[in-house]
Formats: sequence, structure tokens, C-alpha cells
Amino acid sequence: MKKIGFFVLGFILFLGPFSIAMAQQTPTICAIHPFTGRFAFAGIEGSAAMQDVVDMANEAGGINGKKIQYYWADGEYKDDVGIAAFKRLYAQYNPQIMFGQSTGMTKALGPEIKTRYKVLYSAYTMTSEAANPKENPYLFLAAPTYAEQFAVLLKYIVKEKPGANVAFFYSDTEFGREPIAAGREMCKKMGLKLVAEEVSQVGGVDITTQVLDMKAKKVDYCIFQGYVSNPIAAVIKQSKDYGLNAKFMGTFWSTELQLLKELGPLAEEYTGVTAYSFYFQEDVPMIKKIREWTQKKYPKVEYRSQSYMENFATTLLYVECFKRADKMKGGFTGDNLVKALQSIKNFDVGGLMPPITIKDNSIPVGRVYRGNSKTVKFDPISDWIRLD
Amino acid sequence: MRCGDYKENYIKDEEIFQSRFVKFWLALFFIFLIVFPFIANAHMLYVSNIIGFAVIGAVGLNLLTGFTGQISLGHAAFVGVGAYASAILITRLGISFWLSIPLAGLVSALAGMIIGIPSLRVKGLYLCIATLAAQFIFGFIFVHWESMTKGITGIHIPPPQIGGFQFSTEKDFYWITLVFVVLGVGYARNLVRSKMGRAFVAIRDRDLAAEIIGINLFRYKLSAFAISSFYAGVSGALWVSFLKVVTPDHFPFTLCIQYLAMVIVGGLGSVIGSIFGAIFMTLIPEVLNVMAENAKNYMPGMEHLLIPFKDVVFGFLIVSFLIFEPRGLAEIWNRIKKFFTLWPFSY
Repeated sequence: MKKIGFFVLGFILFLGPFSIAMAQQTPTICAIHPFTGRFAFAGIEGSAAMQDVVDMANEAGGINGKKIQYYWADGEYKDDVGIAAFKRLYAQYNPQIMFGQSTGMTKALGPEIKTRYKVLYSAYTMTSEAANPKENPYLFLAAPTYAEQFAVLLKYIVKEKPGANVAFFYSDTEFGREPIAAGREMCKKMGLKLVAEEVSQVGGVDITTQVLDMKAKKVDYCIFQGYVSNPIAAVIKQSKDYGLNAKFMGTFWSTELQLLKELGPLAEEYTGVTAYSFYFQEDVPMIKKIREWTQKKYPKVEYRSQSYMENFATTLLYVECFKRADKMKGGFTGDNLVKALQSIKNFDVGGLMPPITIKDNSIPVGRVYRGNSKTVKFDPISDWIRLD
Repeated sequence: MRCGDYKENYIKDEEIFQSRFVKFWLALFFIFLIVFPFIANAHMLYVSNIIGFAVIGAVGLNLLTGFTGQISLGHAAFVGVGAYASAILITRLGISFWLSIPLAGLVSALAGMIIGIPSLRVKGLYLCIATLAAQFIFGFIFVHWESMTKGITGIHIPPPQIGGFQFSTEKDFYWITLVFVVLGVGYARNLVRSKMGRAFVAIRDRDLAAEIIGINLFRYKLSAFAISSFYAGVSGALWVSFLKVVTPDHFPFTLCIQYLAMVIVGGLGSVIGSIFGAIFMTLIPEVLNVMAENAKNYMPGMEHLLIPFKDVVFGFLIVSFLIFEPRGLAEIWNRIKKFFTLWPFSY
């Protein structure tokens, strides 16, 4: 009996560290989504996208047979709540990859991620601070930064009308102000005249002063930043009333069907840049796959937004990083995942984006789309524009 | 039930904690606070630190609003002033964290005194709007005075250190927060039973009568603003040193509402009410978050209803407390204490 007891004890002791090692090597993603609060429209879609990619990857065999674990929490789009959720999820699940809900949370956690947590991290942000591999090697964006999006739009303007009069119309928030300084420099370099900078509150509709100012300065192109819908629709509508013949453009968060619905017959007046294909582009292989999956799993869902596409692309990169890190010595560690990320070149995502090459921890590509009032969709009016 | 409780001098009679029973439980509570960081994980310690900062800010606001009767909607602005003052002193002037905290408090106190000047002419809702102006003025300054505040980019702050030891984790910073909370609450509790505290209460209850009996309204109202803003500044300075970054987005108008809610739910005119209110407003949403997350694991696909529902539950809790005890959590605590003072007898 004693001998059997020793054997059992030895077996358990042998298994113990082995099982701990196995647990540590379970690929785990934790995310904080703004499921409530003013960014809930992005959080709900984003969490669905991550879940879908994880489910697809697990159905295809996971990471060499290991199922990816995915856990998420609601950050309410408040930094304190988001950071608390980050620490709770990290303490509970010990993930190797995390996803955050905002620029503020990213900035607050950046130094700790670098020195303490060492997890591969991305977020609902396109701030340039998250695309700085020297300062923040663990942070990356599966998107162009706001400054890079501005560069895509300005390049498009230069092609259409060199030397044009340009105006920046942005919100008085961090989100709005982020790319403006870089935008000013780019206008100088590209020979565009930045004749006006209009600032307003997010969601405000009292923008008559700004419209009249742009008319007085003979603005040819107006680029919006820091808004999701209002006051973009109000500016475009009032520009018709006051005879302002400018072309209106915007970046990722405003290039969405919601804005086209608000614009109605004026949808053609808006041109936007985004790095992802749209849900209605059925000829794109990855979009076709997403549509089939959505119709199978969520038959009541009619449309997936650009927030969904952004998170879908991010999670595809996460899965690819896991696959590459699994072949490295040490397995799923933060450093291996960063190396895996840096090794991604011409990674095919089925047309969701052009083949992905990570440059300075972001993906500096974009495509310009114009609104179509008849179909209430966006039509691509340029090819993929790369900035690398 | 307390028996044989008699005092032989006024000093004993005026003690805050009068019975051995209360002193014993207080000592036990302090032992728990000391042991807590060794048994809690990073998340609990993070939340504890946030509660600590909220307690300091709420105590400050209660001194102004609860004790002096001056409604202020600019408290978040003073938190921001203290935060930025501390960040600038540390990063630009090389002043150590330990000195920057009181200096940030003083800068905030000065700002509070300036904003408090209208209180000499207006009161009630009119003063409320005047202090609201502070929120927008300082919010504008935080964003646009880029040479000082670095605008939207914000200022990254190194962690505090003593010698070679850095207080960079939640557990290390907990000790700093604990010390400041104890000092802040202790000072406030003694202030309200001093001459100045009684002057505050007199101004709140009937300012004209207070002036008639010789209380200098100008001096005491500005003092209330200064002390309240000092507390706010210290809270802000600690908070941003803990987060290691300060940006204008940290001090929205909703933060003012949150502090007012802490003070109202906790109990106006009560220091312990500020503590209860700060704990309630910080901890309950976190608990509801955890409950909603666990519930969604048992009811997959229902997260669209479960997660937003926690805001409904939180609002319902606040309204319920105010309906059943309009004087706040502090009054509920007092009633519980009174019940046990006579227990097991009814009267």
C-alpha cells in the first residue's frame, strides 16, 4: 500500500508542474470593451468580432491543438474602470495578449505594460503613441494612425487638385486634436494651403460660424477629425445652404453607414478613409466568410460595422502571432509575441485589408471611399494607398 | 449597551472615540488596513487606491458643501489643478513627489479661493453656476496651455521614490494613499469641531445670523473654498502620480457630478459620510461589473441586456438610499449605532 501511495504521490507531483506549465501555455486573450458608455457602438461590435475570430480559429484546430481562451470585461469607456478591469482580468487569467478600450487607458497603462505586464497590447485607438516600437514595443495598432489617415487623404487631395485650400475641422478633444500638428506639417510638405482650422464640440450642431468662415476662406477640401457623426452631417447640410462648395472628408470613425443615413441625398458629399473593406463588399473573400459566419451564428444581424472589421483584423493578427510564437523557444511570452508581430510581412487577410506588413507597430494603409445616396453604401474611389 | 460611562473632565468628554469598545474596533480596522495589501491582489489594491483618492476629494467637497453650504460644481477642476501642478513640479522643476503634493494642494487652494470670490455675493444655484465656470475655464486651460500642460498628449510622471525604492505598484502606492487618507480624514474631523468648523456650520445654517454674531463671512467662506480645494488638489496629485500620466480627459464635468453624488449619498455635513459615499460610488460599480461579467458566462448571448443593466441597478440603489434615508449612508450608520447602544433594550 505504501508503495502505491508513493507512486501516486510521485505521479501527482510530476503532473503538478506539468499541468501548471500547460495552464501557462494556454493562449489567452483578454479584452476590455466599452460595452456601455458613449463608445458602446464600437464595443459591442468589437467584442463580437474578437469572439468570432477566436471561435473560427478554435474550430480550425486552435494553435497547434491548443484552444484560444478569450475573456472580456466592460470598461464603460472610463479610464479608471478600464484600468481596474485590465488588472482584474490579468490577475485572474494571466493572458499573453490584451486589448484596451481607449487612448487614455493605453497611455496610462503603456509604461506598466512595458515594464511589468509585458503583454502584446492593442486598443480602440489610433494614437501615434501606440505605434512607437522604441518607446512602447508591446503596443501596436492593426490600423493606420490618425496622422497616417490624414496622410492618405492629403495624398488623395494632391492627386485631385494640387495646391488646394484645405481646412481641418476637429473636435476639442484628445481624439480630435491628435493628428492636427502632423497634418499641418504634411500640408506644408505636399504644397497644400491650410487656410482654416475649425474647432467645435463633439455632437454640437451650432456650427454656422465655422461654415461661414470656411466659405470666406474659399476652402476646397475640409477634413473632419474627432467626430463619429454630428456635427459632420450638420456642416455638410449647412454648407449647401450657405453656398460653400467644399468637398468633405473624414477619417475612420466617421466613415460609417450611420453618417450616410444622416446625410440622406447628400451622401455623395462625404469621402472617407478607412483601412478595411466594408460588410457589403461581397466580392472580398474574407467579407464573404464573415457574412456566412454572421448569417449562421447571428441570423438577425444585418450589418457589421467598421469597428467589427477593425477588431476582426486585430484578432487575426493576434492568432497569427500566437501561431508564430508557438514555434519559438519559450512559447507564448510577451517578447516572443512581439517578435512574431514584427515578423509579419505580406500576411494575407483575404482582402479585409491589403496583405499586412507591420511597420513601426502600425499598418499604414488606407483606402478612400465616397458615399452613395442611392445605395446608402460607400463606393471605393481609390486603390489601397500605402504610406511605407 | 454602554454603562457606567462618565467623564471627569471636558477633554475626555470631547474625545472623538469615547468608549473602549469603539477604540478596540477602530484598532482592529487599522490592523486590517495594514494587513490588507498582503492578502489582496493587484485589482483589489488598485480599487483601494482609487477609493482612497475619492475619500480625500469627497471629504474636501463635504467641508465646502456639507458643512459650509456652498454648492460647488467645480471640484473636478480643482482636482485637475492639483494634478497638473504636481506633474509640472515633478517633471519640470525636479521637485520630489513628497514636496509636490502639499505644493499642489496649495496651488489648488489658491485657485479655489479665486473661484470662491463670487460666493461673497451669490449663493445657492447662482454660486453653483459660478463654480461651473471654473470647470470649463480650467478644462480649457488644461487643453490649450500646451507649453505647460502639453495639451492632449499629457504629461508622464515618474513614480515616487525614497532613495532607490520606487512606489511603482499598487501595493507600494497603497501605503502612501493610506497615510494621506488618515491625515486628511483626521484633520477634517478635528476641523469641524473647532472654531472654524463651527463657523462653517453657522454660515450654512443662517449666514446673516452668523454675520451678526461676528463671524467674518468673507474670511470663512474663502477658507472653506481654500481647504476644500487643497483636499481636491492633493487627491488629484496622488491620483496622477499613481496613474503615472495626466491628460485633460481625466477631469471631465462628470467627475464633479460624481463627487457631489459621493457627498450626497454619503451624507452632507458628515466626514464619515464622505468616506461611505466615496466607497459606495467607487466600489459598487466595480462589484456590479464583476457580477455582470460572471452572469454573462452563465447566460451567453444575453450580455447586451446584462451589462447595461448594471447602470440601472446602480441608479436604483442610489435612489433607494435617498428615499429611505435622505440624510445619506452616515445617518443609516448612526441609526445602527443608536440601536446597538441600547441593545438588547428598546428604550
